[in-house]
Amino acid sequence: GSSVLCSVVGPAEVKIRDEKLDKATLDVVARPLVGLPGVKDKAREQAIRETLEPLVLSGLHPRTGIQIVVQTMKDDGCVLSTAFNATILALLDAGIPLKSILGSVTCIIDSKTNQILLDPTTEELALAKSTHVFVFDNKTSVSSTQQENDNMDQDNADSALGAVLFSDSTGLFTEEEYFECAQVCFKATQAVHGFIRTAVQKKLEKEYQQIQA
Amino acid sequence: MSSSTTTTPAAVNGLATSPAFTFSASTFQKLHPTEFFRNFVSQGVRPDGRLLSSFRPTTVHYGVITTANGSAMVRIGGTTVVCGVKAEVAEPKLDSPDQGYLVPNVDLSPICSNTFRPGPPSEQAQVVSESINRVLKESKVLDLKDLCIEEGKAVWALWIDVVCVSYDGNIYDAALASVMAALKNVRIRKPTYEEGVVKVPGGEAADDENSFKLNLARTPLSTSFVLFDTSLTLLTDPNFAEESISQGQISVTIDEQGQLCAISKVGAASSSQTLLKQCVERARKRNEELRSIMNQ
Repeated sequence: GSSVLCSVVGPAEVKIRDEKLDKATLDVVARPLVGLPGVKDKAREQAIRETLEPLVLSGLHPRTGIQIVVQTMKDDGCVLSTAFNATILALLDAGIPLKSILGSVTCIIDSKTNQILLDPTTEELALAKSTHVFVFDNKTSVSSTQQENDNMDQDNADSALGAVLFSDSTGLFTEEEYFECAQVCFKATQAVHGFIRTAVQKKLEKEYQQIQA
Repeated sequence: MSSSTTTTPAAVNGLATSPAFTFSASTFQKLHPTEFFRNFVSQGVRPDGRLLSSFRPTTVHYGVITTANGSAMVRIGGTTVVCGVKAEVAEPKLDSPDQGYLVPNVDLSPICSNTFRPGPPSEQAQVVSESINRVLKESKVLDLKDLCIEEGKAVWALWIDVVCVSYDGNIYDAALASVMAALKNVRIRKPTYEEGVVKVPGGEAADDENSFKLNLARTPLSTSFVLFDTSLTLLTDPNFAEESISQGQISVTIDEQGQLCAISKVGAASSSQTLLKQCVERARKRNEELRSIMNQ
């Protein structure tokens, strides 16, 4: 599987030319597994930064900088999704104030079977007809109750399917395939949110125990 | 700080009730750009007179660079880009010995706007280059095996350079359209391969006998939008001013058969799937118009 290491430093001092008067400045640096950072890494940086900007409560720390460094440790597909998830966990660990958390899932549509496959490996990505990366926040899952979801009919199901925070799809696909992938990824993202919740819980429990000892 | 009475239309109510300051429209735009735009958007128009869903006039010209194998110039409103394609004989990559390759590059330099500084490509230029590269690769625009001269020894490498000559927003749409137009315009002379040497004949004009055109499987074209303000108002084909005050960008790339080649939504708060469906609908309409402009 893929592995991404993310570090967050902030709110810290920032160069005057990067200073924003009313907000914190987010700076994302993405480093690849091998070689010098290239165009793909710049695209990854922009994706992470633009997606996190509305989530971070940057107004609480004006004229500061939050630097996020994302280093790929193992590449077996879905590096962007892994980077998103690592980043949000690192931000939580750092205690940066956030409006909500996010969760990211990648899926592909296989060219032979036309099936939707979640979390593809590099091998599966090579045979994909289209690749879809989605990021959802946890606001939509919190606002709609579970019971309402079960009773929803097809028409209402559309609006409850989850508002998209970030979407990046390439390949050849139809509109129906795209929205079906969005639906599948939204459901899978609930598992990612659950994992984040558990991870933070465990961390707090450990810290509490350390304080007690 | 007294100034002449306001000339902006309609709802400058909030400012008119404040007795201390009145600004001219241009001053107001400089001091409170978002508020200025909001006044227009609430009436369903934009400062340049367009509706929220209108596009700027678009033109496409082919063969603008005679020394290139293929070229095109695309204008979308005030944004002008020129794309040139040069074919070079190169060694194939090790893992694909029978395939040529395409190298797109978008250049955003101070020549087109004073917001760009001289030096290495900015993040924006790199992101646009990468997006175009992914569309070319993953939507299989061209069968790269067509670019093979001699397997394992020589292939055609197409250097696709997009230079922005004038920047007024929506660089991705203009750049992608210019790349597709330039690729349609490409003529490569048929080479001969003898004893390890590739000979490309020169001399007389390139015609159907001594050169070939690229066999493009599809020509994806894109439509871009921005999400303005907390109301997530959708603005199609943003100009530079609109881009600078908006947070989110949505792009939908569609080919001539109506298949989606790419969807991208970055920035701004979560947008509902209804909004995305709206974008896809508008993109389809725009695609048809753009194709008829390109085919003229």
